[in-house]
Amino acid sequence: MPSEPISRRLAAFAVISVLLFALLLGRLWQMQVLQGSRFRQLSEENRLRDLRLPAPRGILYDRKGRPLVTNRAAFTVSLLPMELRRPQQVLPRLAAILDIAPAEIQQRLEQARRRPFEPVRLLRDAPKRVVAMVEENRLDLPGVIIEVEPVRHYLYGSLAAHALGYLGEIDAAELASPAWEGYRMGDLIGKAGVERTYDRELRGHDGRLRVEVDARGRALGILGRDPAHPGKSLVLTIDLDIQRAAEVALGEMAGAVVVLDARSGEVLAIASHPTFDPNAFAAGISPQAWARLATDRGLPLLSRAVDSTYEPGSVFKVVTPAAALARGTATRATRVTCNGIFRLGGWVFRDLKAHGTVDFVAGVAQSCNVFFWTLGTRTGGDAMAEMARALGLGERTGIDLPSESPGLIPDSAWKQRTQGEPWYPGDDANMAIGQGWVNVTPLQVARMIAAIGNGGTLVRPHLVRQVLDPDGGPSRTLSMPPGGRVAFRPDVLDTLQEALEAVVQRGTGRAVAIPGLTVAGKTGSAENPRGQPHAWFAAYAPAAAPRVAVAVLVEHGRRGGLVAAPIAKAVLQAAFGIGAVPQAQGGAP
Amino acid sequence: MRRVLRHLDLPLLAATVLLVAFGLVALASAAVPLGGPWAYVRTRLLHLALAAGAMMAVALVDYRRLAGLSRVLYAGMLVLLVAVLLVGVTRLGAQRWIPLGPLGGFQPSELAKIVLILTLARSLSTQKPPSTLPGLLPVLAHVGIPMLLILRQPDMGSAMVLGAIMLGMLFLAGVRLRLLAGLGGLGLMGAPFLWSVLRDYQRQRLLVFLDPGIDPLGAGYALNQAKIAVGSGQVWGKGVFAGTQNLLRFIPEQHTDFIFTVIGEEMGFVGGVLLLLLFLVWIWRALQIAYTAADRLGMLIAGGIATMTVFHVFVNMGMTVGLMPITGIPLPFISYGGSSLLTMGVATGLLLGIGARRRKILL
Repeated sequence: MPSEPISRRLAAFAVISVLLFALLLGRLWQMQVLQGSRFRQLSEENRLRDLRLPAPRGILYDRKGRPLVTNRAAFTVSLLPMELRRPQQVLPRLAAILDIAPAEIQQRLEQARRRPFEPVRLLRDAPKRVVAMVEENRLDLPGVIIEVEPVRHYLYGSLAAHALGYLGEIDAAELASPAWEGYRMGDLIGKAGVERTYDRELRGHDGRLRVEVDARGRALGILGRDPAHPGKSLVLTIDLDIQRAAEVALGEMAGAVVVLDARSGEVLAIASHPTFDPNAFAAGISPQAWARLATDRGLPLLSRAVDSTYEPGSVFKVVTPAAALARGTATRATRVTCNGIFRLGGWVFRDLKAHGTVDFVAGVAQSCNVFFWTLGTRTGGDAMAEMARALGLGERTGIDLPSESPGLIPDSAWKQRTQGEPWYPGDDANMAIGQGWVNVTPLQVARMIAAIGNGGTLVRPHLVRQVLDPDGGPSRTLSMPPGGRVAFRPDVLDTLQEALEAVVQRGTGRAVAIPGLTVAGKTGSAENPRGQPHAWFAAYAPAAAPRVAVAVLVEHGRRGGLVAAPIAKAVLQAAFGIGAVPQAQGGAP
Repeated sequence: MRRVLRHLDLPLLAATVLLVAFGLVALASAAVPLGGPWAYVRTRLLHLALAAGAMMAVALVDYRRLAGLSRVLYAGMLVLLVAVLLVGVTRLGAQRWIPLGPLGGFQPSELAKIVLILTLARSLSTQKPPSTLPGLLPVLAHVGIPMLLILRQPDMGSAMVLGAIMLGMLFLAGVRLRLLAGLGGLGLMGAPFLWSVLRDYQRQRLLVFLDPGIDPLGAGYALNQAKIAVGSGQVWGKGVFAGTQNLLRFIPEQHTDFIFTVIGEEMGFVGGVLLLLLFLVWIWRALQIAYTAADRLGMLIAGGIATMTVFHVFVNMGMTVGLMPITGIPLPFISYGGSSLLTMGVATGLLLGIGARRRKILL
């Protein structure tokens, strides 16, 4: 039995509860009955827009600060799902103006269902005519807006297209991959080149503007602003003049040119032909244009300098003598008599011609096959493979580009594993002249020749020198630690370098001789199963203290000394500011 | 068991069932823009089954025996509150949940309310009401320890509920008003301290409550949109599933703490009044059961439950109509959330049990 005060307390409690509820009731009466119509009107006019403040993508400069890739303002036609009315009529009308399928608009709307305030992009970089038509029909197109967004602009068109890369909308596989975490449907991302490798640096952060608008779409006020943070700009290692010289010299021939700073691994130029214009992708490429590029037999999207591998042919004749010297199976004094034929067991290997008796330097300079067959069979495939790998062949260089190919350096274990056969002396002979299964990228060859020239440092090729923070933060200079060191004995290195100089002075590479500049290099003509031999030339200069290393590959160019060497010459002239190269200004890097 | 069934408080049970039904409709509507009407209802039905089971089990057990487990319950509650700080899942910036697979997560702070009511009722029923401030110290410690643990998560709302329960039960236990006023004064003195431990967003919410214009995008935005939603419901509402504020997701957390905005918008003043009436019936029955309880323990338990429910309803609805600052307190029986529903199920079960074992008097 509750005592008297307790029941009084319960009663008081009940009174307090009723009072609190009455307070709520009164408030509801006030809001819903007395002011209800005002709130009803507010709710009907309640329209928000979350407008994008697109972050401009970082600019790409060449090593001398000349812009290569910038952004230009363009119009994007977008749709605000929340403000779309009468979709059955509006969507077909809009599709006709934009010249896209109504189903595609539907699909994009479907994907954006979760964010009804955000504009859904329908057409980037819309032509002026389309923008004008949208504006004229504004009243019949509720929810359609025109946004101004930056679009990527590649100032020199196809120049260095493979190194710079191009943009495209992120695809489903990328969205699902952890490498692209934080990206959203519809984002434009780098699909190749530096644009892809450095996408996170370049893209910045889009801002947002939350605007309250009235029923007619007029802005009533800004509810919030989350400013855009522009992407970071990159200073590339590429030199516009050398790049241009390389592309001009390569011309319409299918092939690749790689120019490295022989000391640091900075890529001064990297060219690949056939090529493409990344501007075509900047606002999303049309399916037709994409199909044309993707099915082109010339494979214009393929970066031949980095993604493709080729038989090295005689440029491998740098590795063979290096291995022989290191193993002691040959010395500076080794002499071989070449009568045009090399017998191995029951097999006969034929050289192009009889070179007579050649010493070590002459053998390399004249690219005498009998000389290399002799060295190769003496040294053995595994020793050559070891030297090839030490010089960075058959493995990725680690360049800051996506989709680099590793190439292949075979050895006896590899052959046993993949072919189920032992390594024969004939394989030694084939490998000695860069045939057989050996496959390398032009980039690897450039790095290899640089390592001979610079005394054994295996540089790490890279394309970016500096990352500039647009917000005024400290800019970052990227330094790439070398990929390794080849422990050459000094006498080995001296002999190799002497032989490579002889190639240019009096051997197969005479076409590259430049007055006033000592160039050392090696030619190559690589037989391959797909047609005429590939023409190669790899060189460094100045020979005494190399600053620049070049590798040139011309697919089916037949003769390295005749086809590839002149390209290397033009590139070296541009790099050192020698000769009549119009674009070349200033000295060597 | 027969006794419990024979003396079942039918009005309480009816109000409970209607509130739950009300909640299901509102939840289905609130879930439309969040993934379809069934998005949350399925889990909700699972929660309901659990809560109904708990209600029946608790009603059948004599509440005196439950209160006899006071020490065990209190210790278990502290263990869970510490555990959630160690292994809990962080959602919405607070570490409140212990993950529980398909049931979602368990919020020990919800259960703490019931345990606190039981254990505090037990300790207040076995002694004379404290008459001096030092005499209140054991009670303060009793409530303060779980409160501090909950504040640590941080969960301002639940900590406030514990405070309210304590005040309500002390009041019903007959503690002198002067002493309660002193306690209130002490609380006010602690306010600056409390302000200093608040997180930025909590301070912002309080400031926004005082001046809704200061943060139109953040906390003020939610409040403003909530008011537009409720007000625009007018007398009859826009119709279930037809609320534009709801469908366009103007309001954050519209299926949990802000669910009344959906009711207000879609069912209007009429719906709001109906909901208030249902709660009023529920609380009336709770107080009636407290009044007729066989002993002081039963009276205090029922009174504590009434306090908790009144506080929840007033603070939750008050915040959506701008009468109270925004705090994360669910609307009993209505807001989506399994732990809250379980708590209310146990509370209802306790009330039914106390009611069935009442004094033999005619009503």
